[in-house]
Amino acid sequence: MTGARWRMFFGRKWLFVLLVLVFGWTLTKLGTQVVNLSEAADPWAASGRFFSAAFSPSLSDENPSLPAITTPFLERTASDLLRTLRYALIAMSLAIPAGVFLGLFASEQWLPNNGLRPFLNALRWLLRLGLSLVRAIHELIWALLFLAAVGDSPLTACLALALPASAILGKVFSELIDEQSRSAQKVIVASGGSGAQGFLGGIFPAALPDMISYALYRFECSLRASATLGFIGIETIGLGIRRSFENTYYSEVWTQLYLLIALVVIVEALGNLVRKRLRIGKPRQKSGVAMTEPTLRRTAPKDHLVRSLGLAAAVLVMASWSFGDRLLPRGNESQQAERLSRFFAQLTPDPVAPDRPVPTWAERREAWDAGSGDLLPWLHDLWESPGIAALTNTVAMSVAAIILASALAFFLIPWGARTLARSQPLGLEMVTGKLRSLVGGVVRAFFILTRAVPEYLYAFLLVGILGPSAWPLVLALALHNVGILGRLWGEVIENRDPRQARQILGMGGSRLQAFIGALTPLSLNRFLLFFFYRWESCLREATVLGMLGVSSLGYFISLRRSFLQYDQIIFFALLGAGAIIAGDIISDLLRKRLRT
Amino acid sequence: MSLLQVSDASRHYGATPALVGVALSLRPGEKVALIGPSGSGKTTLLRLLGLQEKPSSGSVTTLETDLATASADVLREARSRIGMLPQDLGLVPNLRVIQNIILGRSGTRNLLRTCRDLLFPSKSDRAEIFAILERLAIAEKMYDRADSLSGGQQQRVALARSLFQGAEILLADEPLSAVDPARGRDVLKLLTSLSDEDGLSLIVSLHQVELAREFFPRVIGLKAGRVVFDGSPSDEEIASLYSTDQ
Repeated sequence: MTGARWRMFFGRKWLFVLLVLVFGWTLTKLGTQVVNLSEAADPWAASGRFFSAAFSPSLSDENPSLPAITTPFLERTASDLLRTLRYALIAMSLAIPAGVFLGLFASEQWLPNNGLRPFLNALRWLLRLGLSLVRAIHELIWALLFLAAVGDSPLTACLALALPASAILGKVFSELIDEQSRSAQKVIVASGGSGAQGFLGGIFPAALPDMISYALYRFECSLRASATLGFIGIETIGLGIRRSFENTYYSEVWTQLYLLIALVVIVEALGNLVRKRLRIGKPRQKSGVAMTEPTLRRTAPKDHLVRSLGLAAAVLVMASWSFGDRLLPRGNESQQAERLSRFFAQLTPDPVAPDRPVPTWAERREAWDAGSGDLLPWLHDLWESPGIAALTNTVAMSVAAIILASALAFFLIPWGARTLARSQPLGLEMVTGKLRSLVGGVVRAFFILTRAVPEYLYAFLLVGILGPSAWPLVLALALHNVGILGRLWGEVIENRDPRQARQILGMGGSRLQAFIGALTPLSLNRFLLFFFYRWESCLREATVLGMLGVSSLGYFISLRRSFLQYDQIIFFALLGAGAIIAGDIISDLLRKRLRT
Repeated sequence: MSLLQVSDASRHYGATPALVGVALSLRPGEKVALIGPSGSGKTTLLRLLGLQEKPSSGSVTTLETDLATASADVLREARSRIGMLPQDLGLVPNLRVIQNIILGRSGTRNLLRTCRDLLFPSKSDRAEIFAILERLAIAEKMYDRADSLSGGQQQRVALARSLFQGAEILLADEPLSAVDPARGRDVLKLLTSLSDEDGLSLIVSLHQVELAREFFPRVIGLKAGRVVFDGSPSDEEIASLYSTDQ
């Protein structure tokens, strides 16, 4: 498509029409039934009871008939929360070194300038594709696979979190490395340094602040994912929430929710603080000290806050590895080996699977010879039913969710952006506005709270209240993404050139007019950029949300799990991964287009 | 003995000639200004002299080393004696001044030592860097982040990096483009005085003809990749350098 036609296609007025049309398509796929409860159930009463419990979070067990030896609720919740944090910390301590290593090899840095370059570059792309695949498979699916392969243990949870995190860190780190200016590296090489020295001295330190920044964000995500693992039975806060909810102890649910939100919000706030400090660096405080090298060194600007946070993180990671439940799975080696080999047998596609759960190599061989001809028809059948329909539903859910989230975020941004939500928007004195900063604070708090809760948790609660249909899942995705888009778009608005908007305000226009008339047209490309970025992550999340019992890829994954049909689980997981990688590529292409 | 020797060197990028049949030589301690309109080949010549790229034809020998024939070790040794001051300075913005400067010795140190230098610089290196910075009058910035310094200060950090490196030749690509026009004279004064005091050979590309003539006994004029004059040019030669007729 040429540039002009592209603009026509994606022109502003058509964009709106297009989004409405696409949303209409999702309605035809997902239906319009939002509430799916039995005749007798009263959704209003149920949700009324749930939401009114928000004002009376419980500090002790709601169940009056618990045996005396049961660990008290608060203590149980505290250890669930600590375990959630512990798994996320261990996962990140594995994922960050792996990400740096993978990131270096996925970058152009190490490619030599000789005949081997095209060949090695092809290998590099293969690695990037591998990273995309590992990351496209959701933490929950990794956890299901690891649970089957090595059994229930903390390590299972940590690996399930660490694997996709390593892959995405590797991918993003490689991009950060390739984005840096080469000029310092060139000087180092020009003065006789090796390429490796040039990287170490000229590229890596420059990329480091952004890498730390991203790793902090990823830690936040791992924390949320760690909580989510509770829903498939790993003992994190998610499991506590599930149990309390299923027993209708709603006040307990809210206590746990509040604690999880508090943890995530604290981690995010500390992350933001570190990010800010890394970006500007600390200016020199004292002056007039005696100018000798030792005094300068002693009084050098050091960021004690960032250093102590770094130290605290290191201590927490070490504590996570050393204290708490045994990391490795229980059972002796032969049991482990048997479990693993049974898992691989379950993983073998049905037509070529041997009859016995722990087959010998000869039996495997025999089964392959007997059934390999049926392999393609087997795949074809799975694709025809339920593959294609499940995939379409999953994609439709992600699209509906991102459109809903965008609409809400777009509506809220002019009320929430720091530069507008104040009595002097963009530096202009306005008569009305005292209330504005309050409203702004409320909107931003709403964004923070909505993004602190993981999608899966929202989905679990909403399905519990509204019954199993696609819309609770869509709402769950939309709620989480409103918070994220609110922040990302808000930052876009805050960093825009304010001149045109100020002009509108100066002529007596309102903030809303300045937003619609000047800031939005200036920011539309950036808005779309983040729209596609979030759509792709909605799609990834949508593949597992179906595990809550709504017809989509996740539903069939959890269904097949009850029959131990891991061959089909892999099929659905890979189907989802294929869609996510395709979505990733589409979103990447569109974003590149939008950046120019 | 000549420090560097260029004979009949040409350099093409694809079909575009950047340098054509250039010949020159330089004695140790000499100060040379390269002048000429934009695109006349000044940067390309500096890159050839700095053993950064090979000429398409002809030869360039710097510190008795020819990029076309040198082994990796010989090349590394030669490069460690050539200081480069690129137009964008090549500093890492979020590293401290001392860390940027200590990287100047990468050519004579191994990877492990570079790690150590960045994290725990040795006492003797610190003392040496402090002395260099004192000489350049920015010692108080030694432990500040490079991006907290002004353009002129950053340039002196880049210069300090070459001094700490122990460069025998300094190749500076338009060093005046990074500073305030009023400070241009100070920069050249500093560069030429360093050359006079340390015997550092200096090749500086410039746009300012008057300053070139004032500070440099030898001025080389480049036009469309060819050396038009080499020495102390007359007004006519300068005029023809910037005239549009071929």
